[in-house]
Amino acid sequence: MRFLREIYVVFWKEMLVWVNNPMLPVVRALVFPMMWIVIFGSAFGGEVNHIPVAVVSQDSGDLALAYLSMLGTGRTLELKYTSPSEAERLLRSRGVYGVVYIPAGFTERLRSGERVKVRLSTDESTPQIANAMAAHFARVSRSFSARFGMEDAVVVERNAVYGRGVKYLDYLAPGVVMMTILFSSIFSGGLNLILDREFGTLKMLMVSPISRDAIILGKIFAGVAQSIASGVVALTVAMLMGVHLKSGALGFALVILLMFISGFGFIGMSTAFATRITQLEQLMVVMQVIIMPMWFLSGGLYPLESMPDWMRPLAIVNPMTYATDAARAVMIRGIIWETLLVDLVVISAFAIAMFLVGSYSFKKTLGGVK
Amino acid sequence: MIIEVEKLRKEFNGIVAVDSISFSVERGEIFGFLGPNGAGKTTTINMLTTLIRPTSGTARIAGYDIVQQPEQVRRRIGLVPQEVVLEGDLTARENLVFHGMLYGLSRQQVESRIPELLAIVELEERADSKVKTFSGGMKRRLELVKVLIHEPEVIFLDEPTVGLDPQTRRRIWEYIRTLNTEKGVTVFLTTHYMEEAEQLCDRVCIIDHGRILDIDPPERLKHKVGEGEIVEIELTARCEEFVKELEEAGLRVKSARGCRVSVVAERSEKVLAEVFSLAQKLGTSISSISVREPTLEDVFIHYTGRSIRDEQGGDTRIKQIARRLKH
Repeated sequence: MRFLREIYVVFWKEMLVWVNNPMLPVVRALVFPMMWIVIFGSAFGGEVNHIPVAVVSQDSGDLALAYLSMLGTGRTLELKYTSPSEAERLLRSRGVYGVVYIPAGFTERLRSGERVKVRLSTDESTPQIANAMAAHFARVSRSFSARFGMEDAVVVERNAVYGRGVKYLDYLAPGVVMMTILFSSIFSGGLNLILDREFGTLKMLMVSPISRDAIILGKIFAGVAQSIASGVVALTVAMLMGVHLKSGALGFALVILLMFISGFGFIGMSTAFATRITQLEQLMVVMQVIIMPMWFLSGGLYPLESMPDWMRPLAIVNPMTYATDAARAVMIRGIIWETLLVDLVVISAFAIAMFLVGSYSFKKTLGGVK
Repeated sequence: MIIEVEKLRKEFNGIVAVDSISFSVERGEIFGFLGPNGAGKTTTINMLTTLIRPTSGTARIAGYDIVQQPEQVRRRIGLVPQEVVLEGDLTARENLVFHGMLYGLSRQQVESRIPELLAIVELEERADSKVKTFSGGMKRRLELVKVLIHEPEVIFLDEPTVGLDPQTRRRIWEYIRTLNTEKGVTVFLTTHYMEEAEQLCDRVCIIDHGRILDIDPPERLKHKVGEGEIVEIELTARCEEFVKELEEAGLRVKSARGCRVSVVAERSEKVLAEVFSLAQKLGTSISSISVREPTLEDVFIHYTGRSIRDEQGGDTRIKQIARRLKH
């Protein structure tokens, strides 16, 4: 009980200081994410490769095979031949971004000069991928049709199963929300600790009889709360700019939960850095060498599929990738637990590990007599 | 004895900062650690306030061991470090409330103590202003009473008036005396200002290079330099010969730096006559001469052969940057 009260005292003071210093939170929570959304919301481009697409073919005639082989040529698509039910499952769990259905009689009908419709079910929660995929299908179908002296012998019918009408802004928003958590964790955790040590505020806590663990936990909780506040502001700004949250109130709650878990991880991480850092310049280096790449390699700005192959492993080990992915899944595709679970497990493991490392190294630097 | 220190020693990477010092402080005393920067004053305070662990030796505060019973010690002490440790974005009242809560007091308990404490340092009217609007002197005053919120038995003041103008410094001394007499709190302070030690302390401990040179009330320390007064002379030429002649005449030359000479005199009239006639004999002239009471500065020179210079190097770079960011 006393311990909880002590944590509360430290927490309360941190929050009071934070609320009383309106400049920093405003810049951190409002201006920053807005700048990112506005600047990047209308910019960025890149070639998307290796898009996994499932093929459900009900025709094994030579023209169907020829069409599919044309689709599979080049680096744009990676075709997986499956059954209809497996294809649906893959699309749902994001094993593929699209399913192409080749109808029965494809070869015969083309031979007899008829037009054929090919159905393409897509996951458009990543609009760049959906567009690249659709463009490839259109291009291939046009040149395939040319063999029959027609412009539109094969017509692709695009049908967005997930993320209908998603714009780049919708795609970007979840990444920016998680970025806000990442960046404000650095301020609330690392920078705060360095300043405290420099100004002796930490000394004031250290000579007081409150337990050392309470100092650490109080500071970490306050840091997480401040990060979540920034995240909520970013989310609200995004929604005011027209980003639409697919899964409603439950989705909103889930995004907050994601902020909470990843906030713990990032605060722990920045605390661990801060305990090793004696100069503010060094923190800037950490920002540039670790934090910025974590954000750029998270798929928050642009899909991982547009990265060169050598870069992808970096994205896979980046916890920010999973946080962003989870937030995006909830905000655009709706709550689909099979994909969310992986993300949740990864970021929770990261959060627990970083929390332990951060509080351990914090405790070590407190030094002195227990 | 409220503070008992026994062979306390601290090394940092093999460099001895505090060299096995022993001393004790009586309840109700104002006890001063006087020494230049780097003498080991802050290191001693940090050990006594449980911030760092001594390499060897120990100390007891109000009967509790600083290493074995740190929590008991922390409950009974207050520390005003050199740097301001107030939250600038909070008001004076909020700072006091937070401080009290750290010591397990309820908000009501703290609130009930605030008016009296702020009155002592004449800050009642600024209770609800943000601390960042305070002057350096006001912040110090608030710090002084902040550490009294939890009614400690001893307060540690590390260079309480460093960086303040002389007028503000005198006011701070007044406040410290008031705290000491009205609240009955024992005061342990460090300083490198002679005047501060002289004016404020019941007893002064002279420390240099981590070692204690002497401990006594300021008056007694001054008498150790010699009974009487100090005559300070400044010459225009032939200075070395003049010093030699003075010594041959049987006068006690306390120090001689170039053409500035000081002489200890039991009866200054007699010494003055001697000085004038010697100067005439050597054909040099005296550009200034003065007679004064000995100060602790003389005591320090007496023990170490050098004077305490204000070597305050200013802020480190990180502090400057950090300050820019915070304010």
